[in-house]
Amino acid sequence: MNSFSKSVILSAVSILCTLHVAKAEKLGGELDSLEVRPTLVKPQLSLPTKLTEVHVASPGEFFVPPNVADIPNDKYGDMVRMGREIFVNTQISAGRYVGNALNCQSCHLQEGRKPYAMPIWGAFGMYPMFRNKTRSVVTYEQRIQDCFRFSLNGIPPSVDSPEMQALVAYSHWLSRGAPIGVELPGRSLPGLMRTEDPSPQRGEIVYTTRCAMCHGELGLGKKTADGTQYAFPPLWGPDSFNKGAGIFRVRTAAQYIKANMPLGQGFTISDQEALDVAAYIWIQDRPKDPRVGYILDFLLPRTGAP
Amino acid sequence: MRYLAMPSKPVLFTAAALIAAGVIFGVIFWLTSRANDTTTFALLHTGKTIAENGRDGQPACVQCHGGNGEGNRAMGAPRLAGMPAGYLEKQLHDFARNPLKAGVTLDPIAHDYNKTPKIQVDLTALTPGVRRVDAMNAISATLNAQEVKAVAFYFSSLGYNFTAIPSDPETLARGEDLALRGKPEYGIPACASCHGADGKGYGNHFPPIAGQAPEYIVQQLNQWQTGARDNDQMALMRNIAEQLTDGDKINVAAYFANIAVSSTGGVSSP
Repeated sequence: MNSFSKSVILSAVSILCTLHVAKAEKLGGELDSLEVRPTLVKPQLSLPTKLTEVHVASPGEFFVPPNVADIPNDKYGDMVRMGREIFVNTQISAGRYVGNALNCQSCHLQEGRKPYAMPIWGAFGMYPMFRNKTRSVVTYEQRIQDCFRFSLNGIPPSVDSPEMQALVAYSHWLSRGAPIGVELPGRSLPGLMRTEDPSPQRGEIVYTTRCAMCHGELGLGKKTADGTQYAFPPLWGPDSFNKGAGIFRVRTAAQYIKANMPLGQGFTISDQEALDVAAYIWIQDRPKDPRVGYILDFLLPRTGAP
Repeated sequence: MRYLAMPSKPVLFTAAALIAAGVIFGVIFWLTSRANDTTTFALLHTGKTIAENGRDGQPACVQCHGGNGEGNRAMGAPRLAGMPAGYLEKQLHDFARNPLKAGVTLDPIAHDYNKTPKIQVDLTALTPGVRRVDAMNAISATLNAQEVKAVAFYFSSLGYNFTAIPSDPETLARGEDLALRGKPEYGIPACASCHGADGKGYGNHFPPIAGQAPEYIVQQLNQWQTGARDNDQMALMRNIAEQLTDGDKINVAAYFANIAVSSTGGVSSP
């Protein structure tokens, strides 16, 4: 090959690269709200599998935690307020323990009150509890430490740290009136019905049509105007939960998505769609599991689209 | 000699090609940015003309929405200044669409779950959405897409100064509870989760609530409930509004109207 053809190829490659970058920038933005386009989802995908089993909101079913205005004005109340502040605004108030861009209430929706979004009032009375993850009985404080270690991809606060004490106080206050050791309705996450195997390809379609508007087409969340925090949390990427988190499991994520997503429209997508989109989220890249060393993490099979 | 001269040629060619490509693309980007500048000025000029004079004998925007788009609380006209351009543009398109026939009355959607099971979301039937306000339907129908864009861009570039409207503490406390925490047991998410903790909105899909008159917010929520407004993405707002009580609407509107917001305005790229 002579030098002229080489230079022609090189310049062509550089032009193509530039074009590709320009195209990526154009596509990377948010969905154009003004563009009216047909949905990509096939009709049968969005139909519930069994119409009789569609969830109907029945508020009397669930435990109602106390009102924030009723936090007592004493030392205990101060601790509860501090715990609530940490829960809502973990990035600022407990930032030294957090390794990503999430807050507690990014997952435990509405300050840990929402049924079927792992509500705090459903969990507090169940600990100490035997967990398969650690093969041991863990206390509530140890459970919170696992949240910091995996879901917040950070350093667990010690049991006697003020942050931990405040979070326990907030959980205690939020669970006032809830029975101890009883599996309350709306606790943890709902079950899934039997489905086909999850398919990331179908999940991508669901993601584009129903999730991308808030979480971004690239799944990296959307930042507020000042760029310091996320208005909509990232689902993958360096600022998201790591591979040791409970919600990294496809089934757990599907349960969460089924009950809570899109916001205000829980139980509107089918179990199959929830599993598919959870699988699509699972194949993306995110921080490594802290229980796995760097060498083993390097040797383990990659997640990622084939 | 021949052996030594060989490697320098391709390097020279490559460097020349890269530099040429860089220059070409630099010129293209410069021209594009210049084009953007002229577009901005043209859009602002067109938008201001239409906003102040109206079109085809229709009343001008400023007659109801105020000379600086600050809104008119007595007339029920919302603030337009500083609203996201994409949002205003979409609303004008939705106003202009108005497929409802004259004389059609919309009954409020029954809150009896036997009558309205939660199987309302059908992705195959996503409509572009409508807003039914007779005055705006007529005005928007006279504008073409470019003028809609210009008007939206003009109003989004204006500054505003909204003073907080006081309310009694109990209303504010209840409104704050709904705004920050929603109603978890009903599945109603917090307003703050999408519209921002201070109600300043986010992007083109989630407009600012703070800085609007409380009457306007209550009116909009009522319209979501009756179906007179039905132009949200994925029926997000409709599902929420359907479950709000009249007290909820008043409380939350009072809470957001109690936040003072202001902006000096400015032009972002169209």
